[in-house]
Amino acid sequence: MEIFLFALMGILIVSLIIVIKSANIFVDNLVEIGALVGISQIILGVTASAIGTSLPEFGSAMIATLSGSPDIGVGTVIGSNIWNIAGILGISATLAGVINASPKGLNRDGAVTLATAFILIFFMFFGDIGKIVAVFFIVVYVFYLRALIKSQKEENKINNSNQTKSDKIQVKNEREHGKEIKSNEVSYVNKLKSISPKTYAWTILGFLGLIIGCRLLVYSGVELGKSLGIPEMIMGLFTLAIGTSIPELVVTISSAMKGLHDLSIGTVLGSNTFNIMIGIGLPALIMNIPVERLSLTFDAPVMILVTILVLLLLRRGMKLTRIDGIILMATYITYAVIRIGFLG
Amino acid sequence: MYKKILVTSTGEYMDEIMEHTLDLINKRGIEVIGLYVVDNSAPFLTPKKVKQMMVDELKKRGKTILDSMEKEFSEPAQCKIKFRPMLVEGDPAEQIVKIAEDEDVDVIVMGTGKSKIDKHLLGSVSEKVVHSAPCTILLIRSKHKHLEEI
Repeated sequence: MEIFLFALMGILIVSLIIVIKSANIFVDNLVEIGALVGISQIILGVTASAIGTSLPEFGSAMIATLSGSPDIGVGTVIGSNIWNIAGILGISATLAGVINASPKGLNRDGAVTLATAFILIFFMFFGDIGKIVAVFFIVVYVFYLRALIKSQKEENKINNSNQTKSDKIQVKNEREHGKEIKSNEVSYVNKLKSISPKTYAWTILGFLGLIIGCRLLVYSGVELGKSLGIPEMIMGLFTLAIGTSIPELVVTISSAMKGLHDLSIGTVLGSNTFNIMIGIGLPALIMNIPVERLSLTFDAPVMILVTILVLLLLRRGMKLTRIDGIILMATYITYAVIRIGFLG
Repeated sequence: MYKKILVTSTGEYMDEIMEHTLDLINKRGIEVIGLYVVDNSAPFLTPKKVKQMMVDELKKRGKTILDSMEKEFSEPAQCKIKFRPMLVEGDPAEQIVKIAEDEDVDVIVMGTGKSKIDKHLLGSVSEKVVHSAPCTILLIRSKHKHLEEI
């Protein structure tokens, strides 16, 4: 029995790495192909960063639903959203000392994240999430993505007009001082030239890896839960949710530590919007997603509360401090203790 | 005394760094290299595209910082200063030491001021540079405590 449990845990860890690496390979190569067929770099960049880190959650939710374990799918989505805000932002703010927020980004992404959480709970009141709601979720997300692309285009315009003297900065040769800084235009042209059948092969391989990895992940999660007597929902809310959010964790922490605050907060808020609209929307397009009573009465309200909490903390001084980070982490631990220890 | 100075900053403590550097130069004819190192490290499992975005953002920030340095060193009162901006990618401490060696600078000017907690959690570039720098270092201690941000 013990060997079986260890084997399942091993499969869970290995499948997580496969899922995350496959998602990266798939998105990176898809972006190259997108560039080849003439899709603008802005659209590709925004889409890749918005979707890239959330693909593991989406893949797991999709596979879980298709393989008859929708609870684990919904659990992964809601659990990821709570973990992203309370866990990941909490850890990042504690480590980095401070994460600043820009009013523009916070107003748009914060409002959309909160609105999507409310939209989800609203539809959960009516019972199972079906095809009509699924279409609504996907349409809303497409509009949000369009707004992101438009905003990025405007930002690029401003940046380009400001870039005059900056270009004079001396760039030392790679042989002399580390890696040479090249202009984006040059690397973009080089990329176009270097696209080969290998790129297509990697895209397919990434996609297959994602499916196989997610299937293994869901299987090991479900079986591990059964063997240990842990409900599927709990496995989804915690084990899979935290595991599939590793990309958000590494991106948010490293960007916060480098002072790239917009990217740090944007990754978390963007991921939460994607998780609900697409992570629940697309699987619901294929089959009805059942709503568990505890999800409606506890998990989803907690998701809304932590979203409001982080927005309030950010609103205070347009930043998250180390103390705010500790508050967020304590909130997550309290939620986990109540959910696992008392509600089961 | 000093003929070539390497001034480096990530944007933190810029005012103090500039103030002390200009004081050190004291209107003499000196070559100043302004250095910004784009930290291109990223943890395992960071998506390639996101890593590229981080590097692009840091490059943008570096150019802004170097522009503001150039502006200050180009003021009429500093007409004897020959300023050269430099933007490189790599590990900040390693690159600062390497450029100081390659350019044969006489002094490195950089900021310091992290709290003890921050030093433990984030590490300190200035501490690493102090241990392997080939020349004199002027460490500018910031008066703005990080505690304000906690």
